[in-house]
Amino acid sequence: MKTLFSILAAVTSFAALAQPEIPYREYEPLDQYEPHVSGDLKLSGSYQYWKDPAKLDYRMAGNPDENWKLNWKFMDPPFNQAVHGGHFALDRGEKLFKQLDAHHRFAVCLGAKKGKLKHLRAGYPRWRDDLKHVAGLEEAIEYCGARQGRVLQNGSYDNSAISLYLASLGNGQPIAIDVAKGPLKEAFERGRHLFHTRVGAFNFSCSSCHTHNIGKRLRGNVITTPYGDAAHYPVYRTQFVLQSLHLRFAECNLDTRTQPLLPGSQPYTDLEVFMTALTNGYPISVPAERDW
Amino acid sequence: MRFTLVGLILLLATPAWGVDLPPDASVSGGKTMAAKVIVNSGRLAWTPYKRDLGRWLTLSYQDRRATPEPTPFEMKAPTNGDAARGKALAWQWCITCHTLPGDDWPGTVGGPMAKYKQFKHPDALVFQQIFDARIFNPNTVMPAYGTFGLLAEQDIRDLVAYLQNLE
Ligand code: HEC
Ligand code: HEC
Repeated sequence: MKTLFSILAAVTSFAALAQPEIPYREYEPLDQYEPHVSGDLKLSGSYQYWKDPAKLDYRMAGNPDENWKLNWKFMDPPFNQAVHGGHFALDRGEKLFKQLDAHHRFAVCLGAKKGKLKHLRAGYPRWRDDLKHVAGLEEAIEYCGARQGRVLQNGSYDNSAISLYLASLGNGQPIAIDVAKGPLKEAFERGRHLFHTRVGAFNFSCSSCHTHNIGKRLRGNVITTPYGDAAHYPVYRTQFVLQSLHLRFAECNLDTRTQPLLPGSQPYTDLEVFMTALTNGYPISVPAERDW
Repeated sequence: MRFTLVGLILLLATPAWGVDLPPDASVSGGKTMAAKVIVNSGRLAWTPYKRDLGRWLTLSYQDRRATPEPTPFEMKAPTNGDAARGKALAWQWCITCHTLPGDDWPGTVGGPMAKYKQFKHPDALVFQQIFDARIFNPNTVMPAYGTFGLLAEQDIRDLVAYLQNLE
């Protein structure tokens, strides 16, 4: 009996070994992207219309067939002057941050040099020696909160509120992450691959929409460029309250019948690195809102 | 018959809910969970999503499952489709990308379907396009409704009947 068992075990493990390393997968042709927001000029060309956040064309914003060309930037400040839920979240973020940073431990943990907070948002995701991987700002907020015994789950309102507050201190600063070398380059490349990997019931990749069908309509939604998105997150949405970039990925996954991953998971962080690099050079503009 | 076989293979190849789901998927007890943001809270609330998506491939690096491969399917004549039923299905599944007659705010990712009859495509070809368009174009964005088990053979026959009669 025992021998039979070990033979069986040996056969199964051999079968496992004999299995091909990578199961059958489909990828869209892997496009090249420039790690700078102006790279959009070669993709959708819409960048010319939203390049200068203060000078958007009112007429395009009001025209449902044209407004995708503004990449929804008319819902960002300074163009969007409305008082919305993002402003309340910002106040909450400031309050929480000041509590946590009473002894400046929080800011130091997040990586603020000499207490300078305004460069934090523009420099994330970054490699963290303590975590031994590339992390987004929200992951760092969760981690540094936990070190003080405070629960700030990645994607939660309080976490995003703090992230929004820190972003607001950097309003106008261009996003600047260097993906030319080291772990960030590796994360960027993994993110680029993921962006082209087909998944879910419909076998879509992110690029099926955001690279190859920009400006086309999916019923009521017009698809926009992947360039320039990272500078207005976390974003206020009436339906989703305060939405972090990772929760937006989860939403796009759900909308295309794909099982989402957890906020802070490595694939989502890699996608964040990819999309943040595609926003390099574009000024942070928060608090922003988006449709419903 | 072949359709049942394909279906059976798909069913067997598909793990039971939860079994093969990667650890970074947002699931609980094998069910797909959606994150809910709660104002002034440091925690996310997780609510069951309206559909379970666990049987499909995710973006997780730990997901070892394979994508269903492009599959040819030879539809046997006669088509025997119910065009009225096909219309309802088209408004449910296809209108996101294709313009159908009578729609004010149609999708534009795929081509317009008005007057589809004029092309006089063989039914079997239209059937294959819906069953698995990757046979004709490996990079298509159109979902493979048959191979991925989203629509049954009769559903696709009904869609063929609907499209082939659009004048
Ligand atoms: C079926 C098409 C489709 C797929 C596939 C898709 N998205 Fe989206 N996505 C949309 C639409 C439509 C919107 C809303 C309009 C817009 O901003 O493009 C959107 C919005 C977004 C936004 C918000 C943009 C902003 O300005 O705030 C991000 C970020 C995003 N998608 C990322 C992704 C990622 C990453 C993937 C792959 C995991 C993905 N999407 C897959 C259609 C898609
Ligand atoms: C995600 C977008 C999308 C959806 C949803 C979609 N299609 Fe398509 N469809 C396309 C595209 C793009 C093409 C162009 C050919 C190709 O790429 O395969 C196409 C082509 C077709 C064609 C061939 C057109 C021709 O030139 O003869 C037919 C027929 C068709 N689709 C039927 C359907 C039906 C029926 C449904 C719903 C069950 C559907 N499509 C859903 C994107 C879509």
